[in-house]
Amino acid sequence: MTENIAIITAHDGKNISTSTWELYAFAKKLKVHTTADICFFLVGEDTRKLAEEINSRTGCPAIAADVPNTGNYHGEIYKKTLAHLLAEHSNDYILAPHSISGMDYAPALSIILNGSCITGVEDIKAEGDVLYFVRAMFNGKLQADMQSQGVSNSSPLILTLQPGAFKPLQPNKKLSPKIIHGRFDFSEDRMRYQGKLPSPSQGSNLAKAEVIVSGGRGIEEQENYQFIEMLATIFPRAATGASRPICDYGWAPYKKQVGATGTIVSPKLYIACGISGSTQHLQGIRDSRFIVVINKDPTAPIFQVADVCIVEDLIKFIPILVEESQKRKTPKGN
Amino acid sequence: MKLLVCIKQVMESGSEIIIDDSRHGLTYSNVTRFEINKYDEYAIEEAILIKEKFGNVHIDAITVGPSRSGDALRRALGIGADEAIHILDETKGYRPPITTASWIAEVAKDRNYDLILTGIMSDDEMNGQTGPMIAQILNRPCAGTIIKEEISSDGKTITIEREIEGGAKDVFQIDLPCVLAVQTGINSPRYPSLSKVMRAKKKTFDLILAESLKKPGQQPKLHALGFPQKMSHGIVLEGSPQEKAVQLLDILVSKSLA
Ligand SMILES: Cc1cc2nc3c(=O)[nH]c(=O)nc-3n(C[C@H](O)[C@H](O)[C@H](O)COP(=O)(O)OP(=O)(O)OC[C@H]3O[C@@H](n4cnc5c(N)ncnc54)[C@H](O)[C@@H]3O)c2cc1C
Repeated sequence: MTENIAIITAHDGKNISTSTWELYAFAKKLKVHTTADICFFLVGEDTRKLAEEINSRTGCPAIAADVPNTGNYHGEIYKKTLAHLLAEHSNDYILAPHSISGMDYAPALSIILNGSCITGVEDIKAEGDVLYFVRAMFNGKLQADMQSQGVSNSSPLILTLQPGAFKPLQPNKKLSPKIIHGRFDFSEDRMRYQGKLPSPSQGSNLAKAEVIVSGGRGIEEQENYQFIEMLATIFPRAATGASRPICDYGWAPYKKQVGATGTIVSPKLYIACGISGSTQHLQGIRDSRFIVVINKDPTAPIFQVADVCIVEDLIKFIPILVEESQKRKTPKGN
Repeated sequence: MKLLVCIKQVMESGSEIIIDDSRHGLTYSNVTRFEINKYDEYAIEEAILIKEKFGNVHIDAITVGPSRSGDALRRALGIGADEAIHILDETKGYRPPITTASWIAEVAKDRNYDLILTGIMSDDEMNGQTGPMIAQILNRPCAGTIIKEEISSDGKTITIEREIEGGAKDVFQIDLPCVLAVQTGINSPRYPSLSKVMRAKKKTFDLILAESLKKPGQQPKLHALGFPQKMSHGIVLEGSPQEKAVQLLDILVSKSLA
C-alpha cells in the first residue's frame, strides 16, 4: 500500500478555502521527496459536493465525513473524527493550515496518532534524503530548520502550514469524481457550541479604505497614537489602523485592528509605523498595493514586505514628514 | 477549585538575537534580560481574576526551564499565584513542545486541577502546541484563543469565547476539568504587588528534576537556526530624516498616492 500525504481540507461548508490550495501546493513540493500520494480529508456537515469538487479538480482521492454539529469548528468532534478517518488510512504526512482551528487540532492529533508535530511551516528544504521544514521564530526574526526522524505510517508527521507561505495551486481538471463518503456521529458532550458573536471589526471603514496609516507597539504610549492620526491628515482620505497589542492595551478600539483576527485590508497605500511584521499582521495587509514601513529596527521582518523602507524613530520622523508635506501644500513665497 | 497556569520565560522583546555556534540555541550575555511570555501573563491574570471572584481558589504556576526561569515563577507569585512548580531542565539545546507538554501533564496528572491555563503560544518559538498537547495527554477538552471565560456557579462548567479569523467569536460551554489557551486582550495583566513580591522571595518552589520525568518517544528535532534571507524588494531610503521625508513624498506623488 502506498502511503499518503494527507491534506486536511479547510472549507466553510460551501467553498474550499484558499488555505487548502496552499496546502496542495505544499504537498506537491513535499511529494517530490517522497513516494507518498496526496489524499484529501474533509470533515463537515455536508461534504459530498466539496469532496467531489476536490477530487474532480485535483484527481486526488477525497475521503469525506459528514458529522453533525461541525458547521462551526468544534475541537472535540473534529479531533475524534479526524483521528478516526486518518487511522483507517496509511499516512506518513498530515498537512493542516496554521489557522486558529489547525493550531487546535494538529498538536492533539500528533498525540492520538503517536506522531510528531511541527507548526507554522513556511518551506521545505532537502539535503540528500533528509527533509527540513522551515519555520519562523521570534516573530520572523529567526528561522529554524526542523527535522523529524523516522516518519512512517505508524508515526506520522503532522505539519501546519503558515497562511501565505505558498502560492495557492488551484487545478481545474474535470475528472469524474470518485470519493469515499461516510457519515459519523461523534457528538461530544464535554463541549457544547452556544453560538457566534460578531467581530468588533464588522463594518469597520478599514476594509474599503484606500489609504491606511497604522501604528504598532512602537508608539510606546497611548498618547503617541496622535502621531498616527497626524500622519493620516496629509492624505485627503486616510483611515487609521493598529496592530493587535495597541487594541489589547485599549489605546485604539478593536475595530481598528488590522490582521488575521481583525480586518483584512487592501488599500492602495498602507503605512506601517512601529509594527514588527508578525505573520498575523502580515496576513491582513498582503493585498495592499504599496507598503511604506517606518520602523527604527532595520531587522524588523515587516521590511520584507515593504516597497519603501524607512529606518527611523517614528516619533521624530512623522512630525518632519508632516511638516515637509505641508510645505508643499502652501504656495511658495508666502 | 484548583488552577494550574503554565508559564514560560522568554527573552525580553526587542533583545538582540545571537545564534550560538552549535546553531541549536541562542547566546545570552550578561545584559540579556528575560520576562514572562506575554500570552502567559494574560493566563496568570485570568487565574487571579477567577480567584478574586470565587474566593476558594488555589493557583499553581508551573514552568519548565533552567534555573534562571525561576525568576518567571517568582514574578507569578508576586502577581498572585499561590505556589510554584519548577521542572528544572538544564540541558542545552532545543526542547520541543511535546517534551514540555508531557512533563507538565505528568506532574499535573495526580494534582486534580479543575482548570489548566496556558498562553496561546510563546513569543520566542511560536509553536502554540503546549496547551493542546497537555489537554490531549490528560484526555481533557481544550479550547484556544480564549478571550473571555466564565465558570458556572456550581463550578462544573466554563463558558468561553474563542476568537476566530476575522475577530468573530465562537461560544462554547465546556465541562471542567479542561485546558484553555489564552489570547491577549482577555484582561489587563497587573503588576506584582510589593507585599506579594516580599512573600514570593521567601517561598520555596516545588522543584522537580526533568531527568526524573519520562521523555516522549517521537519528537521533532531542531537542525539549525538561521536568520531569514532578506527578500525585500523595497527601496531603502538614505540620508537625514528630512531627506527621507522629501524622497518619500516624491515617491508617493510619482505613484499618485499623495
Ligand atoms: C491567534 C493570533 C491572532 C493574532 N491576530 C493578530 C492580528 O489580527 N493583528 C495583529 O496585528 N496581531 C495579531 N496577533 C499578534 C501578533 O502575533 C503580534 O504579537 C503583533 O502583531 C505585534 O504587534 P506590533 O508589531 O505592534 O508589536 P511588536 O512586535 O512589539 O513590534 C513593535 C515594533 O515597533 C518598532 N519600534 C519600537 N519603537 C519604535 C519607534 N520609536 N519608532 C519606530 N519603530 C519603533 C520595533 O522595532 C518593533 O519592530 C495575533 C496573534 C495570535 C497568536
